[in-house]
Amino acid sequence: MSFGTLILAVIVIAAGAFFLSRRKVLGLADGDRRRLHSLPHYHGMHALLLAAVPALLLLFAWSVLQPVVVDRTAVSHLSGENYDTSGERSLAMSEVRRVADAIDGLIKGGKLNSDDLDGLSIDDLGRRLEETGIPVLADVPPQILDSARTYRSASAAGDLIKIGLVLLLALAGAAYGYSVAHPDLRARNRTEMGVRALLVAAACVAILTTFGIVLSLLFNTIEFFRIYPAHEFFLNLTWSPSFGGGSDLGIIPLLWGTLYISFIALLVAVPLGLFSAIYLAEYAHPKFRSVAKPLLEVLTGIPTIVYGLFALLIVGPALSSVYGRGGLGWMPSDTAVITAGLVMGIMLIPFVSSLSDDVINAVPQSMRDGSYGLGATKSETVRKVIVPAALPGIVGAILLAASRAIGETMIVVLGAGAAARMSLNPFEAMTTVTAKIVSQLTGDADFASPEALVAFALGMTLFVVTLGLNIVALAIVRRYREQYE
Amino acid sequence: MDAMAHTDQISMPGSAPLTEANEVKIAARGVDVFYGKNHAIKNVDVDIEDKTVTAFIGPSGCGKSTFLRCLNRMNDTIDIARVEGDILLDGEDIYDKRVDPVQLRARVGMVFQKPNPFPKSIYDNVAYGPRIHGLTRNKAELDDIVEASLRRAALWDEAKDRLKESGTGMSGGQQQRLCIARAVATQPEVLLMDEPCSALDPIATAQIEELIDELRQNFCVVIVTHSMQQAARVSQKTAFFHLGEMVEYGDTEKIFNSPEDKRTESYITGRIG
Ligand SMILES: Nc1ncnc2c1ncn2[C@@H]1O[C@H](COP(=O)(O)OP(=O)(O)OP(=O)(O)O)[C@@H](O)[C@H]1O
Ligand SMILES: [Mg+2]
Repeated sequence: MSFGTLILAVIVIAAGAFFLSRRKVLGLADGDRRRLHSLPHYHGMHALLLAAVPALLLLFAWSVLQPVVVDRTAVSHLSGENYDTSGERSLAMSEVRRVADAIDGLIKGGKLNSDDLDGLSIDDLGRRLEETGIPVLADVPPQILDSARTYRSASAAGDLIKIGLVLLLALAGAAYGYSVAHPDLRARNRTEMGVRALLVAAACVAILTTFGIVLSLLFNTIEFFRIYPAHEFFLNLTWSPSFGGGSDLGIIPLLWGTLYISFIALLVAVPLGLFSAIYLAEYAHPKFRSVAKPLLEVLTGIPTIVYGLFALLIVGPALSSVYGRGGLGWMPSDTAVITAGLVMGIMLIPFVSSLSDDVINAVPQSMRDGSYGLGATKSETVRKVIVPAALPGIVGAILLAASRAIGETMIVVLGAGAAARMSLNPFEAMTTVTAKIVSQLTGDADFASPEALVAFALGMTLFVVTLGLNIVALAIVRRYREQYE
Repeated sequence: MDAMAHTDQISMPGSAPLTEANEVKIAARGVDVFYGKNHAIKNVDVDIEDKTVTAFIGPSGCGKSTFLRCLNRMNDTIDIARVEGDILLDGEDIYDKRVDPVQLRARVGMVFQKPNPFPKSIYDNVAYGPRIHGLTRNKAELDDIVEASLRRAALWDEAKDRLKESGTGMSGGQQQRLCIARAVATQPEVLLMDEPCSALDPIATAQIEELIDELRQNFCVVIVTHSMQQAARVSQKTAFFHLGEMVEYGDTEKIFNSPEDKRTESYITGRIG
């Protein structure tokens, strides 16, 4: 019985519990809904939840834990000098799983009777596997084969127990739900509690996952600081990793590049985005607005790699033809801070304008009326009433845009160059924290070396910076919301 | 409305004696207003006199606010609103192409039904009009205008120690008086007030009525009100609206004592509305 069928079976049992319990309470109340504590479907829901939720929870918990336990039993067969380190053992275990899968394939294909398996010699099995064309190591060591056998039997036993227990639990829940079904049962309140628990559980999963990500970042960062001094990381002004060891891993040049490019991006995005938002919200004809606004919002959905290509193939060469060697001679190559900053700014325009437009629209019409009623013109009203009233929200939008700019990767990888440099010249190539995280992890570096682990420290720093920006932005936006309530 | 089921319970005008006929400040001829397909104002003719308080009364939804907004073209800001007919201010058609609605609104000020102070300081709220119209030469003059306007709106004593605080932080009644001060500070020729006292306590109401009476010396004031007593106390002319039509218009005393139309009589005695 596969995972899907098992879930289906639980659902069928739960649905049965629903209908049976509903019929039972209605019967007990002589079909008079008014004599029930809760509406009939709440009584049904109560039994349904009792049948489905514990069984499904068990199913998921079991599915997560079973492989761990099975691996434990199977690995006990692997002893000897070949399997000393955990690395060797895990390599062997993946081989074990492959052999086990291959045997499963043979049995399914009718080429092998599962009863014969125990008596089969290694050579025999190897030949059979070859016949089917399943790629397995030519000569499977006996330990692996033993281990694979154990693996198979343990999995099979586990699956069987799982199916039994889950179905039993579902039936027990259904039976209990049915037995307590009674017109006086406070089914509505209990269902409400059940629903709340489900929602809380869903929220917890989301929060716990995030928490897990942060923790793994944190542990790896701590690991990094154990082998590389923190003050070097935060204060060293050079970034030059060398995989042979003895690298300089100072974050400051990378942060400088990040902030410089983000600054240029905001310099482009904020005025353009804000002005287009003001135009859309205050001046544009409603018909034009109803077309233009969704179009702008579609722009926010363009993958950033597309903007990256745009930077690499169009903006970079165009800038370089004016400011580069052929022109003013300020720009040594196509990739530069200004290239990435401009393109990133273009990417952020719809982001800023869409958020600002929402905020400006939230300013009540009565504010505008008040200003027009005193004989103010449109632009006076915008400047003196609407923008000040919307300012906290606009600042929030800008901060959110800033945190996007700081976290942006593809555009910088393609547009800004790869040199970690600290310079004020926007026509020079620089690089950012995100781009360096990519390049540190895509090389062949040993995963335990400081050159690879530094990626986590960089990520953690980035996380802290953008988190701080987002918190400030959200706090500002929220304060703004309260103002008109 | 229960409290005034009979005409004789209403205090009659007397405190506001009619002066000899004043000049016509605003003349409306055949005015129709549509909100999309909704015909909100139907063929209204009215002559509003200068240096007079004119009251618009009528049941909720009959179009009083709509007509008031026509007088300074605030309906322009509502996309679906369409105004037809002629409205003359000092003999000039305000819907003429050459008339700038912005200039017009500086001359015809407005206090809205719901208080709408700007989210700025009390001082900046009142100084808003004088600043955009350049009415003062220096800060001292502006200070004087702000103080005088707040005094006229009976808000000075409450506001003088918190001029730098936000106008949105005041109580509803204070906000409404702030909006009145803001409108007065712009020094308009005509002041349109849409239910200016609906959020005020009796003391502030009396102060605002005093202000209206004082404004009458120099300005033309139009006030929308749901309070018969208030209309009777402060106005010299009254217009009764019903279902978008102006049913009756005349001296306040006459409207309240011997209305010509049955509908006016029913409304005043509390039978419709
Ligand atoms: N902005 C608008 N858009 C569409 N219809 C409107 C708008 N403003 C008013 N109306 C309609 O015009 C009619 C008159 O409304 P108006 O606000 O002028 O009434 P009123 O006499 O001021 O009522 P109240 O005493 O309740 O303030 C109503 O039917 C209303 O639905
Ligand atoms: Mg109204």
